[in-house]
Amino acid sequence: MTRSFADRADVTMTINGEPRRLEVPASATLLDLLRDQLGLTGAKRACDRGTCGACTVLVDGRRIYACLALAAMQDGRCVLTIEGLARGGELHPIQRAFVAHDALQCGYCTPGQILSAVGLLGEGRATDEESLREQMSGNLCRCGAYPQIVAAIRDAAGA
Amino acid sequence: MTIAGRPSPRIDAVVKVTGAARYEGDADLAGALHAALVPAAVASGRVTRIDDTAARRIAGVVAVMTHATAPRIAGATSPIMLQDPTVCFAGQPVAVVVAETVAQARLGAAAVEVTCDEAPAVTTMHGALDRAYAPASAGHVETDSRRGDPEHAPRPFEVARRYTTPTHLHHPLEPPFVLARWDGDELLVHATTQAVFSHRRRLADCFGVPADRVRVVSRLLGGGFGAKGSGLFPCMALCVMAARHAGRPVALELSRAEMFTLIGRRQETVQDLRVAATLDGALTAITHDTVAPTSMFGEYADPTATVSRVLYACPNVATSHRLVRVHAPQPNPMRAPGEGPGSFALESALDELAYDLGIDPLALRLQNRAAGDQHTGLPWSSNQLEECCRVAADAFGWHARPAQVGSLRDGRLRLGWGMAAACYPVYRMASHAQVAVDPDGGVTVRCGTQDLGTGTTTILAQLAAGALGVPLDRVAVEIGDTDLPEGPYSGGAHVSASVTPAVERAARALRDRLIERAIADPASPLFGLEPERVAIADGVMIGAGRSERVADVVARTGGLACTAHAAPESRPIASSYAHGAIFVEVGVDPELGEVRARRISAAYACGRILNPLLARSQLVGGLILGIGMALHEAATTDVRSGRIVNASLADYAIAAHADMPRFDVAFVDDDDPHLDGGVKGVGMIGTVGIAAAIANAVFHATGRRIRDLPIRPEAFID
Amino acid sequence: MRPFDHARAASVRDALDLAAARPGAVFIAGGSDLVPLWKDGVSAPPAVIDISRLPLDHIDVADGAIAIGALARMADVADHPVIRRDAPAVAEALLASASPQLRNAATIGGNLLQRTRCPYFRTPGFPCNKRAAGSGCSARGGDDRRHAIFGASERCAATHASDLAVALVALDASVELCGPDGSRTVGIEDLHVAPGDRPERETVLRPGELITAIRVPASALARRSRYLKVRDRASFDFAVVSVAAALDIADGQVREARIAAGGVGTVPWRLRGSERALRGARCADPDGVGSPGIDDAAARATDGARPLGRNGFKLELLRRCVRRVLAELTGALEPRGAGGAA
Repeated sequence: MTRSFADRADVTMTINGEPRRLEVPASATLLDLLRDQLGLTGAKRACDRGTCGACTVLVDGRRIYACLALAAMQDGRCVLTIEGLARGGELHPIQRAFVAHDALQCGYCTPGQILSAVGLLGEGRATDEESLREQMSGNLCRCGAYPQIVAAIRDAAGA
Repeated sequence: MTIAGRPSPRIDAVVKVTGAARYEGDADLAGALHAALVPAAVASGRVTRIDDTAARRIAGVVAVMTHATAPRIAGATSPIMLQDPTVCFAGQPVAVVVAETVAQARLGAAAVEVTCDEAPAVTTMHGALDRAYAPASAGHVETDSRRGDPEHAPRPFEVARRYTTPTHLHHPLEPPFVLARWDGDELLVHATTQAVFSHRRRLADCFGVPADRVRVVSRLLGGGFGAKGSGLFPCMALCVMAARHAGRPVALELSRAEMFTLIGRRQETVQDLRVAATLDGALTAITHDTVAPTSMFGEYADPTATVSRVLYACPNVATSHRLVRVHAPQPNPMRAPGEGPGSFALESALDELAYDLGIDPLALRLQNRAAGDQHTGLPWSSNQLEECCRVAADAFGWHARPAQVGSLRDGRLRLGWGMAAACYPVYRMASHAQVAVDPDGGVTVRCGTQDLGTGTTTILAQLAAGALGVPLDRVAVEIGDTDLPEGPYSGGAHVSASVTPAVERAARALRDRLIERAIADPASPLFGLEPERVAIADGVMIGAGRSERVADVVARTGGLACTAHAAPESRPIASSYAHGAIFVEVGVDPELGEVRARRISAAYACGRILNPLLARSQLVGGLILGIGMALHEAATTDVRSGRIVNASLADYAIAAHADMPRFDVAFVDDDDPHLDGGVKGVGMIGTVGIAAAIANAVFHATGRRIRDLPIRPEAFID
Repeated sequence: MRPFDHARAASVRDALDLAAARPGAVFIAGGSDLVPLWKDGVSAPPAVIDISRLPLDHIDVADGAIAIGALARMADVADHPVIRRDAPAVAEALLASASPQLRNAATIGGNLLQRTRCPYFRTPGFPCNKRAAGSGCSARGGDDRRHAIFGASERCAATHASDLAVALVALDASVELCGPDGSRTVGIEDLHVAPGDRPERETVLRPGELITAIRVPASALARRSRYLKVRDRASFDFAVVSVAAALDIADGQVREARIAAGGVGTVPWRLRGSERALRGARCADPDGVGSPGIDDAAARATDGARPLGRNGFKLELLRRCVRRVLAELTGALEPRGAGGAA
């Protein structure tokens, strides 16, 4: 059945475990939806061009840049943002490891780094420190917390 | 170990890892309008016409502000502040569109038609170096210096070379953001500023309102590196003007592309270095001459050559800083301003000297240690450079260094070892601080300074907890607000050194007054004791075998606050610098020209370390910026148009995870009896020396001496 | 970005009908290249047709070829055991591309259709014949370090940015298209068009046409293939120079060779001179470094190359990359790691 064009779209998504029915502008990105419509400001608009990773979220378990995903195209998807990672006040092991290893400074890239790490561990692709660094290279950190971030991920992965 | 001095986790780490941390741009902006900037398409000229007809027709557009309609302000320091039609750099905002949403504002901005009379532009200093002039100062110090007679000094051996560094951009991950709200004559600004008090004063001056009617708030910053101080002010003023013009609050967030043009940059440098020495390596003369660009409307020179004035003992030293006026954005300080690029030149030149003379580069540094500051004639307040060299060299394994270039291998990679020494001046500003205890026993530190990720929040809490005697988790911190006691702007690695004496003084005063209350209170177990016999530890007041909780004293007697002020000596009796030594191993694929840093061992003497965990993170962060300086970063300007060519993070490469070496960073004990509080600061020195150490390592690996940064594959292709 | 309308296609037929119904509407799959272009104002479609849910993401082997659906994500193709075993250059090219987040969202078809990274193209305001026909080429006499030494015209020298396309050229892949006039197959080398007089035209896709699949012949050549990429940053960076090479070696002799280069051409550039130099060559003694065949192939790689102002270093760098990849493929040198990454 041919659908017609519209400047808005109805999407049903699960966001941090909660089913939501949303009406979104056709040209809104997932990042716009999360920050501006839903007040979930953990994902950051640091470059808005998919070049820094600060907007990384998990969609159906896969890490993507929310700034490059159109919200209207996420119907039926399951989205996890940083706000949904801790369960009932209990930090995720990666969050705990980030705190313990000082894997952050200004914190702006941190939600993206953490979700990227969660996604990475789900991918099962990083086998050693070098491949871990390679697989995290889609998340920039200008403060230079990289070594502590990798140490935190290795710590949490080993746990 | 006292609380200040412990490697305590950042007290704001949990809010940051859970996404609960609210940066100024995360605020609910309901009710605010949004601004978008219209850039000039020419690098030089005058705006002759602005046609906003199409822009005003766009739904949601509320106002278009130009130089003709912008509020008049006093003391505009930048054409960004829209006071006249002159265009001084490509991308300069010449109009502001204000609309109900960001998207509408941007559409409106794209629809504004600007006509300019274009004038000839100087878009690069290259080709205009002969027009260089002497500025009023280089950073905070004098432009030229001279001791001895460098031109006529004995020069049995000399290295004379030119080194260049490109334009660098700060690129904190958090974009600059300003929300300005007028209420009659009162102004409230929420902004990503590194300098709430300085910006408050400047806003008050610009807009002709008393400073106490202006409040600037910057509670948490997503990085700064210098971009959110003086560099931010013109856009901040522009947003405040737009709010005045529109009669409603206005929010402005710069795009990443705009961050290449509108908040400053580290100026590129051309540095001529002549280093002369005896055949056994004693320095006899150094001349270090630098040229950099400045804008057509502002004068700024990084103190690039100052490192040559102080780092080594040398009887004949001359340095100079010159600027060339360019139709380009105004440069400003960026992490390790001056010493960053300047140390690249000096430490590279010394390395060249060492190889030419057949002397170990480390031995050359140690041989020429400065026993005092030969530039000012003052003794060092403390100088642990030698110990830094020893510790870092041992950690690195430098003693096993093969002198022969190109002799270390790992498969097809050529390995190379290089080193550099580093120093950074200790700056300190005056600061106020308040330490208060609430009736429930909770302690709050209040200081109008900022935290850019530097860890200031945690440091303040540790200092107060330590000096007062309460557990760290009982201390809350309020910063980043001009309603608080005035603290220093965030820069110069000076915040910790500035706030430490003020907070400790305030906390001790609070401790003393709480003790006074207790011993004067018949209801207290400590009643009647001599104050010297009473101490506070872990939130408990103890004396002569009796005790009670501070919380109970306060519950009975009420909350209490003490404010203190501390300022540096106006006439220092000693010269204060932090020092460091950096050793790097690089791997070079000599055919493909790929260079990667493999391991770095560094040791730093930074006086009293308030939190080794956070301080180490600062140093590693500084080193990483230096890796980018050496291997990746360069902003390119299109000479014809004066526009930045690579205005995206896809094209301006910041170091990524995969670029990381192994880091081994150590602190050297550096008890400095002359510094009130003992703190030297750790924010800048990490970026000093590292680029030279990498380039020196590349030489050791390949025999290629690279004097122009960044080092790229083409450097290995003749 | 300029607001646009959206419709979701339920089938390929539906997608084609939607495209026919709305002039100017563009297909969007992952959107990783399109969305930034729209945000920067390089293009502004009136409407998008969401094809992301079409059943075109399978990876199958049939009739002596690996068929990869155009909507297969880069990450999934890179991970697929058949691709890794039978077309390693493809897996390596994909893993050397972009970042993990982009590879999770971006599709194979979209990757092939990505626009050039030329910063003058991507920044409206700079004269650019590709973006605004007749406005001039800012790279000429400008910063052309990342521009092409092959296939440039007076009007445009922008390099093609896809790593995957280079690997597919080396593996003699073909592309299946579906459009209002039906289906057709195009050789991968015919998909992209050099700028010539009309740099705004980049592919042979007709209006309303979709890529539906890529087919990689399963062959001894494809199985012995590699991708090498030189980048400024160790990861998450486009190629300065890259090379994909595939060799069919039997009884110590090169029976067939296909070599393509990236970062150097306005389209993925086939190095036919290098291939000729290799055909019939005997493999290097494993203890040696290089052989007459490899040296000759490297030298031939830059036949016809024309350097611009600042990219002349790419000639020698290309020769060295060709030598390196061939040495690794022929056993003369140990490979340095998957994805050509250092």
